[in-house]
Amino acid sequence: MGLFDAFKKKGIEIGSPVKGKCVSIKEVSDPTFSEEILGKGVAVIPSDGKIYAPADGVVTTMFPTGHAVGMTTADGAEILVHVGLDTVALKGEGFHIICEEEQKVKKGDLLIEADLEKIKEAGYDLITPVIVCNSGDYAEVNGTVGQDVEPGDKILEIKK
Amino acid sequence: MQEFKYTIKDELGIHARPAGLLVKLASTYKSSITVDTGTKTADAKKIMALMGAGAKQGTKITCKAEGPDEAEAIAAVQKFFEENL
Repeated sequence: MGLFDAFKKKGIEIGSPVKGKCVSIKEVSDPTFSEEILGKGVAVIPSDGKIYAPADGVVTTMFPTGHAVGMTTADGAEILVHVGLDTVALKGEGFHIICEEEQKVKKGDLLIEADLEKIKEAGYDLITPVIVCNSGDYAEVNGTVGQDVEPGDKILEIKK
Repeated sequence: MQEFKYTIKDELGIHARPAGLLVKLASTYKSSITVDTGTKTADAKKIMALMGAGAKQGTKITCKAEGPDEAEAIAAVQKFFEENL
C-alpha cells in the first residue's frame, strides 16, 4: 500500500457541535436514537448551550423550533444534531436560531443557542444526539465516546 | 404509479421521530416512494430529505409510490400517515 492509499483511507471527521461529554448512542433513552432509526451516531451531554457546525457544509434542515438542525457536509455526510429529547414539544421556547436553511457554514460556526437551564427546568433531557442520517452510504461510522469534548473535537469518523 | 393525498394533522409536522419511522417503513418496499409538500419533493427513504421538506400541521402532501410493490407500499404509507401524522 502506497502513501496515497493510506491517505485515502482517512475517513470524514465530524466534530462535536457542543461542549460536554460524548457518550454512546445506546445511552440515549429515546429509542428513535438508541435503536439507530435515524442512523448511526453518538450523543453529547452538553454543558453549554452554544451549538456549532460539526463540519464544513450546508445547513439543509433548520427546524423552525430550533431544537434540531441538519446539515450536509462538504463530503456528503448528512448530520443531524438534535438538542435534547422530545424538545420539538417546546415549540421554540429556549432555543435561539442563529443560522438559516441553505446557509453555507464552516466547522465551528454558531448554529443555535439553547438555554439549557430553561430546557432542563421544563423537564427535558438535554442529551444531544449527533446522527449520520445517511449511515447506509458508508461502510463504517465510528464514534469516539467516553470523553469530555470541546466544540470541534472529533466525535465521529465516517468511512466509505 | 399509486398515490394518495393527505393533510398533516400532527401539530409538530414531520419531525425527527416520525421521519425516522417513515423511512424505516418505506425502506421495506422496493418501490420508489416520494412525499411532495407542494414546495419540495422528498424521497421517503431519506431522513434528511423528509425532515427538510417542511411538512407542518395543515400541509397538504401528495405521496406517490412507483415500482413492483407500489400497491402494498402506498397502502402501508397511507396507514402510517393516518395513524401518526
